[in-house]
Amino acid sequence: MNSFYIVNLLIYAAVDAMACLGLSQQFGIGGVTNFGFIIFQAAGGYTAAILALPSQTANGGFQSYIGGWHLPFPLPWIGAAVVGGVIALPFTFLVGRRLRGDFAAVGLLVTAVLLNLLVTNYRPLLNGDAGLSLIPQPLQGEFDPQSSGYGWDFTIGALIVAVAVYFFVRRLTESPYGRTLRAMRDNDTVADSLGKNLLSLRTAMLVTGGAIAGLSGGILVSYITTWSPAAWGYAETVVLFAAVIIGGTGNHLGAVIGAICVPVGFEEITRYIPTSNNLPPNLIPSLEWVAIGLLIVLFLWFRPQGILPERKRVIRVPDTAGVPAQPGARPRPAPDPASVPEPRPRPPGGRTVLEARDVSRDYGGVRAVSGVSFRVTAGTVTGLIGPNGAGKSTLLAMLAGTLPVSGGQVLYDGKDVTGLPAFRRARLGLVRTFQMASEFKRLTVMENLLSAVPGHRGDSFRGALAGPRYWKKDEDAAAARARDLLERFGLAQHAGSYAGDLSGGQRRLVEIMRALMAEPAVLLLDEPMAGVHPDLARTIGTALTGLAAGGLTILMVEHELAIMDEFCDPVIVMAEGAVLAEGTMAELRSRAEVVEAYLVG
Amino acid sequence: MTAFLSSLGFGLVTASVLAIAATGFTLQFGVTDVLNLAYGAVMTAGAFVAYVLNAAGVSVWIGLVVAMIVCGAGSVLLNACVYAPFQRRGVSPITMVIVSLGMTLIIEFGVQAAAGGTSVSYSMSDGPSLRAGGLDLSVVQLVVIGLSLLVMAGTHVLLRYTRLGKAMRATAANKTLARNCGIRTGRVIAVTWAVTGALCGLAGVVFAMDAGSFGATSTDLFLVLILAAVFLGGPGQAYGAMLGAVIIGVATEVSAAYITPDYKYVIGFVILLVMLGVRPSGLLGARA
Repeated sequence: MNSFYIVNLLIYAAVDAMACLGLSQQFGIGGVTNFGFIIFQAAGGYTAAILALPSQTANGGFQSYIGGWHLPFPLPWIGAAVVGGVIALPFTFLVGRRLRGDFAAVGLLVTAVLLNLLVTNYRPLLNGDAGLSLIPQPLQGEFDPQSSGYGWDFTIGALIVAVAVYFFVRRLTESPYGRTLRAMRDNDTVADSLGKNLLSLRTAMLVTGGAIAGLSGGILVSYITTWSPAAWGYAETVVLFAAVIIGGTGNHLGAVIGAICVPVGFEEITRYIPTSNNLPPNLIPSLEWVAIGLLIVLFLWFRPQGILPERKRVIRVPDTAGVPAQPGARPRPAPDPASVPEPRPRPPGGRTVLEARDVSRDYGGVRAVSGVSFRVTAGTVTGLIGPNGAGKSTLLAMLAGTLPVSGGQVLYDGKDVTGLPAFRRARLGLVRTFQMASEFKRLTVMENLLSAVPGHRGDSFRGALAGPRYWKKDEDAAAARARDLLERFGLAQHAGSYAGDLSGGQRRLVEIMRALMAEPAVLLLDEPMAGVHPDLARTIGTALTGLAAGGLTILMVEHELAIMDEFCDPVIVMAEGAVLAEGTMAELRSRAEVVEAYLVG
Repeated sequence: MTAFLSSLGFGLVTASVLAIAATGFTLQFGVTDVLNLAYGAVMTAGAFVAYVLNAAGVSVWIGLVVAMIVCGAGSVLLNACVYAPFQRRGVSPITMVIVSLGMTLIIEFGVQAAAGGTSVSYSMSDGPSLRAGGLDLSVVQLVVIGLSLLVMAGTHVLLRYTRLGKAMRATAANKTLARNCGIRTGRVIAVTWAVTGALCGLAGVVFAMDAGSFGATSTDLFLVLILAAVFLGGPGQAYGAMLGAVIIGVATEVSAAYITPDYKYVIGFVILLVMLGVRPSGLLGARA
């Protein structure tokens, strides 16, 4: 064991750990599957190289490359991080909301393959296939890079940067912003419907991961002093993914362990395999790749959570909680759902808060909703019934913005919101729930509720970096509100359970409570009582009417007529994509066409 | 003009290889819902099966048939032992893609470990070359084009006129509904893996014939073209994949003649990214 060997090992460990932390943040926390991750490390490497190298003519002229600014340390490292982040921006169009995650991943993989091909073949840019060499090391004018002292200083520098990166991603993750990212990872459509801007979140993750990867590439290049396309084949990304999956997706410490096990470990193990002339060439490297493939598949099957599973975040509700929100909290039109006000008689002829005008939706050639118009009056619990396939859920999705309309307009609070995406409508107070189970599985029940809180100071990149002291008050207030809701719906003892582990009925409750945490003015509920015990359904219904009396407007799709009878007024009947009738349940029962279409049969 | 015609000839051959591969890929994805990135690796495995037989003195055409059988059976096994269990567990589509990437490494580098890292080629005669109207194609190239036409016609007959094809289309459209209608979707999916795996093996061997010499990692870039053809036509759309293959195959070779061969894959890449960004359902796919 000489000191050179240990220095080498530690620097590689630091670089790989950094790259894995970047990927862990991007993929493990943000759920952005970037199969082109290695591009960003490569970009950082090249950037550090051309910033540090002297101009190509001054460098003997045997390499051709752009730049060559001969900048002093630490500018090449900073430049590497900046470029790694900036080149992530063009990729955001692949990870927006519209494209399936696996298709986007394929797009990024293909980009990695092709960029490698381009850099390999186009020599003037970055010296092509041969790559760049003789890259100056940091401060090599002042110190002797060959000395052992220099090696150790470099090691310490690299380790300090790696530790800093660790604390950076940890701070991001262990914040309300990190919770939002994990919510998006677990179910992006639902996060969207709760007011989360997926495009901006994913862009932030691509840029953050890219900058970290770029920095790792810059540090690596300034240590090994060469950089060529062979160092960043698309398969290198798979190695990093293997590391993160094996270490534990969603656990940053796991990512570090994965980095030590996979990229570093494989390099070291093969060092000890005796070379023999009898072996065919390429056998050992080939088998290494096979082993990495096997590790990925076997881990995903036998231990998908990795060596260190994602930690469960238990959120303490402060004892002082329950005190009214501090003055200076944002004024909200919606009532505080946690405190049910005394039922007040609804003013007659209230104002219209939500309106559909001639809304229609085509699926291929099928018209699921055709020209539906109706108004929802503020403070009502409006029911929406109709046989299966009547277009109720589609209509709800169009009202909330989850689905675009094929024609017509949606008006909310007098404004045309037809062109607004779901998250913007949610931020205006138009919030929906889903027919299918839509809890964030790997968030606890408490976290599910907190994830929906609007305007949380810690729910932004900057807020997260400002640290807990900046957002703790908001968090405590929200946690207190969530606890009150949980107690009211009898789920307080499950606050710390993963939402994915609850029963079907409990998950429905979580979803409704989460929607309430979003402080809606209009709540669109898609079969909130489906699969819920009748007693519980009654509790939910009573709570909802109470909230409506306090000013909340509810539009509810439901099949159970008893519930409609008891809680909903008025009720809209849909059949075959159109509104058939509207009125109180008693009126509807007396109308022949309604009875024929739905109430009997 | 000659440059254009000769590149058009190359383009037709590339398009033919691509059409076989892309039809298999898109059927596989459409029916089984697995975005199998290991498809390129299975192609390579097929090419090497034929090579091993060929090196032992067997005609490459027999090797081609054996490669089809091996890849068909291998794909059925790949699904039964890896993809289907993961799907039954209900993992996300992204996890499936990661699994398929893992399988890519296992198969591709497994082949490389067995075959060594050097490029190999079949010993076969290209046959006399035929000229017609400026096009200059060898007999082998014509056979490749013929095989591709046969595959496309066969796919059309399969999907349009057979019970199996109907069942495949039904399974692709809605698996649960198809099962409730009495279609044994499990069997349909197994047969789909067999058929598309055989197409994959066929594509691997004709790809190797067309390329002249090939190694274990030769299909990495070709997979980009397959994906481009598939997404151009619309994922899951058999006719779309055929159309996409013709467009991309010809565009690749013609651009290679006029720009530089080093960048001939770039056009496929650009098409793929544009389709993913603008219209992921493809030219022939329904609008999402």
